Amino acid sequence: MYFNKKVIQLAIIVMLLATMVVGCGSNGDSDTSSNPSNIEDSTNKEEIVYVNFRDIRDLNPHIYSGELFAQNLLFEGLVMMTDEGVKPWLAKDWKISEDGLTYIFYLREGVEFSDGYKFDAHAVEANIQAIYDNYDRHGWLESIRLLEDFGATDEYTFEMTLKEPYYPLLIELAVTRPFRFISPNCFIDGTTKDGVDGLNGTGKYVLTENHIDEYAVFDVNESYWGDKPEINRIIAKVMPDNQTRALALERGEIDIIYGTNMIDAETFIRFSEMDGFETSLSDPLATRMLIMNSTDEILSDGNIRQAINAAVNREEISEGIFYGLEAPADRLLASTVPYCDVELEGYIYSLDKANGLLEEAGWQTGTNGIREKDGNPLEIQMHYNADSVTERMISEYLQNELLKVGIKLNITGEEEQSYRDRMKSGDFSITFNISWGTPYDPHSFLGGMRMPAVYGDYAAQQGLEEVEKLHDTILQAFITVDEIERQEYYDYILTYLHEEAVYVPLTYERNRAIYNEKVKNVTFNPSQYEVPLEKMHLE
Amino acid sequence: MKTYIIKRILMAMPMMLAVSFIAFALINLMPVDPVEVALRVNEIIPTEEAIQGMTEELGLDQPYFERYFSWLKDVVRLDFGHSYINKNRTVMGEISRSLPATLRLAGVSLMIVLVVSIPLGVLCAVYKNSLFDKIIRLFIFVGTAMPNYWVGILLMWLFAVRLNWLPTGGNREAGAIILPSITLSLTYIATYVRLIRNNMIENMEENYVFYARVRGIKERVIVIKHVLRNSIQSSITALGMSIVQLISGTVVIENIFAWPGIGRLCITAIFNRDYPIIQAYIFLMGILFIFCNLLVDIVQHSIDPRLSEEG
Repeated sequence: MYFNKKVIQLAIIVMLLATMVVGCGSNGDSDTSSNPSNIEDSTNKEEIVYVNFRDIRDLNPHIYSGELFAQNLLFEGLVMMTDEGVKPWLAKDWKISEDGLTYIFYLREGVEFSDGYKFDAHAVEANIQAIYDNYDRHGWLESIRLLEDFGATDEYTFEMTLKEPYYPLLIELAVTRPFRFISPNCFIDGTTKDGVDGLNGTGKYVLTENHIDEYAVFDVNESYWGDKPEINRIIAKVMPDNQTRALALERGEIDIIYGTNMIDAETFIRFSEMDGFETSLSDPLATRMLIMNSTDEILSDGNIRQAINAAVNREEISEGIFYGLEAPADRLLASTVPYCDVELEGYIYSLDKANGLLEEAGWQTGTNGIREKDGNPLEIQMHYNADSVTERMISEYLQNELLKVGIKLNITGEEEQSYRDRMKSGDFSITFNISWGTPYDPHSFLGGMRMPAVYGDYAAQQGLEEVEKLHDTILQAFITVDEIERQEYYDYILTYLHEEAVYVPLTYERNRAIYNEKVKNVTFNPSQYEVPLEKMHLE
Repeated sequence: MKTYIIKRILMAMPMMLAVSFIAFALINLMPVDPVEVALRVNEIIPTEEAIQGMTEELGLDQPYFERYFSWLKDVVRLDFGHSYINKNRTVMGEISRSLPATLRLAGVSLMIVLVVSIPLGVLCAVYKNSLFDKIIRLFIFVGTAMPNYWVGILLMWLFAVRLNWLPTGGNREAGAIILPSITLSLTYIATYVRLIRNNMIENMEENYVFYARVRGIKERVIVIKHVLRNSIQSSITALGMSIVQLISGTVVIENIFAWPGIGRLCITAIFNRDYPIIQAYIFLMGILFIFCNLLVDIVQHSIDPRLSEEG
């Protein structure tokens, strides 16, 4: 023995001690806390630990860089979206002129921002002006584009005038951004487009600590104007990795995982069978789909697009990939979406139909099983987001499935940002897409189709014969004040898109949550991007 | 010695300049227009006017080398500009915020590597081909073969969920650094145990060991004072480079263990196309590499003066 036990033991002890000492060292904080909390003291019955995949980032309510769940805790709007439609919030009532151009909001009195600044029509005007100052960033919102005039008519009355009638205005005012109100004390140089100095809203919670990339603490707003939530404190931890989140929930470090991009189907199923945990699923909220570029040499033929739609077995995708958590989708938007209960013959899985359509289009089966026309193989390129396991699985499955009808699908996974850039620039043949979900569907999703260089839809539709009429009809549906007429416009839009088969609907996505059984009243808001933490309580 | 150090520092200068140019050029070689990226990450529709405005704002309408020297001038003052995503945050601020956490993680990992691999390497050499040596070599094989990610999840499952001894992640709780640092150090432990073991075995065959034994010097003294010292020297180069690898190789570990370090900052920047942060990361890692290389050379030189005669 050259080394006695003592030397080895000493080495091990030194190593462990050094690890502990350094491990308990400084944290290199950059935070907003004045009094850091002990986040491990979870004995407080009114404290819930939520988890997110990234930092809350910039919560300025008038831009798009922050996490929606957090903005929703701090800031409120004139109206709110509920399952029963638009309801009063900071506006206790409103009136719409007969021509649909003027909206008058009667504001709630006795409301204050968390810094004590009075909420009134002048504060609303300052906020709307701040949003309007940043016009370029809100190009996707018709309500900003159509805004003609706005202002306070007295202390608690605020008026908005539009250039043209636009029925979804109230819905757009209800969603989390940008029409939420922040104390004018937080403005920088009288506006918010270059940032804010503070995050004081009228919401149920205030942000008391933020340790970037680690966790944020939201405490109940003691001066809240309405009923205070049961949960006094929300700790939002940052955990980028799926597996880590699931293990942290299992260990009790966190109380709830919430959201479609936070929980894969397998994890959901696992926790639904585990003691001490519960799971919840929302109603269908968005359509997961493929988008086919009608300007593509091969896909410009409607028969090919129809054939691909017929060759996709949606039931198998629903069961095999999503474990039944997402329902098969046979049309672009579910008939439960407003104005979308249109009479259509849903896409049905039929290889015979697909083969027939391809024959009709002149594509004959070649010697290697791949169809050919004028010596060219029926070969199509499909891109997917390499960061999405789901998209990769669907891509691989479809590659195999389409071979059955003689279509060679080449699939390429790309890093997310490249993939999105490609989509927005229209540089694709087939790619993935998802509708905006409730409450943005159908109007924002369809409205986005009219905008070049923002979403893939515009570029993908350029090969359609009636593309101009389609985009014009989308606009008409927005500006008409006649409900029957509006439904007729939607009938045309949805029927035309269905027949032209630019989209391959796959499944209807559902929001999901897995949580410790002590968390009660876990519900889903109409907007998939909101987490109703303020409605939850602990037992 | 002084002359050598000055010469090495002077040689490092053009390398640093080259690193700065590569960091700057790489971003410009990316397939996506940085102007469009800057607009899109801020949800601005890239209209012609918006593109023109952003081009001017980013200074991309200036000649290429003018832009490079202007960037370099700022970099010398440690000003890497502002993040595209969080315009109110400076790149240097983001790096200053996240670097200490990574340095702590890398530091503890390095300590574990040293404390574990030196004794294990020595013992494996001394008890060559014994059962102990075979077990350790098996561990080395497994440690090298298993991906970091998998090891991290396994350790988390065992120590955090099953045994409930340690937290799954973050850097707030006592002992939170243990799992990520062990995960990060495993690969290096495997490498260094093998390196030290092989060097020791080679050295033990040397004549000076034979003469020392003949002179009746105790085996333990021979092994520690002579063989180990000579064996460690050749490991110093690898160790110097490992420091950089440890700092720049924390990306996956930081993601799994929710460790708020520079690796996570970089990966987030890559996903978001936050070019200024990516640029700064490439530049700083390059400079760190050169610096460590320089340091290793100087240390080796001071240990073994023969090197200067050869060089």
